[in-house]
Amino acid sequence: MVEVLNVSSLSKSFGAIKVADDLSFQLELGECLGVIGPNGAGKSTLLNLIVGLIRPDSGRIILDGSDITGLRPHLRARRGIGRAFQIPQPFPHLTVYENVLAAATFAGGMHEDAAAEAAIEVLQLTALFAKAELLAGGLPLIDRKRLEFAKALASQPRLILLDEIAAGLTEPEVARLTEVIGGVKAGYAMIWIEHIPHALRAVADRILVLDFGRKVLEGAPGEVMDSPAVRRIYMGFAADDVA
Amino acid sequence: MHLRLVSGVVASILLSAGAPFVLGDGALRLWTEALLILTMAQMWNLLAGYAGLVSFGHQVFVAAGAYALFLAAEALNVSPYWVLPLAPLAAAFLAALVALPLFRLRDAYFSIGIWVFSEIVATLVTKSSLTGATAGLPLKTSSLMDLDWFEPTLFWIASVLALAATAGLLLLMRSEFGLGIMSVRDNDVAAMSVGVDVQRNRLIVFVISAAGCGAAGAVNFLSNLYLSPASAFDVSWVVNMMFIVVIGGIGTLEGPIIGTLLFFALREIVTGQLGLSGGWYLVALGSVAVGTMLWSPRGLWPALSARWGLRFMSVERKAPRLALQDKPNND
Ligand SMILES: Nc1ncnc2c1ncn2[C@@H]1O[C@H](COP(=O)(O)OP(=O)(O)O)[C@@H](O)[C@H]1O
Ligand SMILES: [Mg+2]
Repeated sequence: MVEVLNVSSLSKSFGAIKVADDLSFQLELGECLGVIGPNGAGKSTLLNLIVGLIRPDSGRIILDGSDITGLRPHLRARRGIGRAFQIPQPFPHLTVYENVLAAATFAGGMHEDAAAEAAIEVLQLTALFAKAELLAGGLPLIDRKRLEFAKALASQPRLILLDEIAAGLTEPEVARLTEVIGGVKAGYAMIWIEHIPHALRAVADRILVLDFGRKVLEGAPGEVMDSPAVRRIYMGFAADDVA
Repeated sequence: MHLRLVSGVVASILLSAGAPFVLGDGALRLWTEALLILTMAQMWNLLAGYAGLVSFGHQVFVAAGAYALFLAAEALNVSPYWVLPLAPLAAAFLAALVALPLFRLRDAYFSIGIWVFSEIVATLVTKSSLTGATAGLPLKTSSLMDLDWFEPTLFWIASVLALAATAGLLLLMRSEFGLGIMSVRDNDVAAMSVGVDVQRNRLIVFVISAAGCGAAGAVNFLSNLYLSPASAFDVSWVVNMMFIVVIGGIGTLEGPIIGTLLFFALREIVTGQLGLSGGWYLVALGSVAVGTMLWSPRGLWPALSARWGLRFMSVERKAPRLALQDKPNND
């Protein structure tokens, strides 16, 4: 068992709103942690804390045994964190290929031919290969989502963070994406925020439920999804209504 | 690619080596001025078009280079040519000094911030007797230069600067550093998320941009043999850089060349051929700017290159060809 990520007692408030409330969890290599919770629960904020875009008020983040809590974001990326943003963040005036090449070069620490090869491999995996030479700014939403995933993969990460990359996809597209994620999963520690229960059930090893920045539940996917607490908090209706 | 770059550079060198023997005095002076403005425009373009930092205060670096040259030539009592390398260094030093506070400002605040900085430096220089105050400085050691070769020498120096700026930018932008800097321009949060050191990249580009303007500014005032704060810190320096880059095509290397040609062609036609006043020249510039922006908001070069499929100095990286053909597309 190789522990990749260890988050302990992480807290963060924006003014009066607590967006992370004493969060602790661990993640091992080859493991996928699904994260669910209502909108505004603090899911994306948790990723922002892990990548360093937001500083926590308290708590520690350990990556591969070393404390990265004070590290600047680009250094965390180089240490092996690849992130797919919920709202895609492409480099609009660069081509799709250049977008992915940048990730392979700077976060992945690869150069010249090695970086080019890694970029192409990732483009094929994410079905963006045919669009390699198009400007990223002109891509439709679905391809922007794919590009987020591609950049995260090209970063040669240890830890990969996916934020609602299946949202807005059609059912067959979700199936294909789920298959791809399942296929590469063994090589990474992964956090996948998604609202699609069957996709998470298929890939995630554990699921963490967030509400108001607090961990409500953490456990096996079936167990968590079927729990009354999740039905009440996450699905937005009382358990009694279901029963 | 490299063959084309080398042949382009060689052709430019041959052209500018021979030009002083063919051109008349007036034409030579005009070309010298144009090449210096092109150098400054490329430097402004590097910062705005490739790094996403729009400066309204680049005249401060023009002035820094010029004052460094005039003060150093007098202090060391040597020919101004010898102390010319100090001009870009002085501008670079000033840029490095002010970068830290300036980079805390975002977007328009940066643009205004650097303009305010320029005004502060201008005020200090205008008040200080060390820098000749409002009266400015004469070039004390001009007698140490060979005045027979003065105009050709300045033309050659200007050619070297313009060529170095353009070819240097091309190489820089094709390098890994260039990929990083363009990613910062496009989206700084995404850039740091893929491992790009955003602050360091911005600092390097800012310092290079300042150094180039310092060198070109120094040569410009060297040709006048006289330096006044009003002309050194004149906001029209940065206005001209902006006009040339925005009209020609921001974020392209060809754009500033086209912009410079247009800028000087307009000036010669309006104030020379038509014999109109400088005011009409500004009206003409404004009209051309508005017309271009309506026709092609990204400037002339992108529209022209799209229409005729022209690409001379593209910095786009191509995915390796073989791989593109051999591997199946699993879309
Ligand atoms: N930079 C910020 N400044 C202030 N409030 C923020 C910031 N980022 C997120 N928030 C707030 O924190 C809460 C959690 O947001 P977020 O993590 O995006 O939720 P989720 O991803 O679970 O939908 C929301 O109320 C949001 O408005
Ligand atoms: Mg979110």
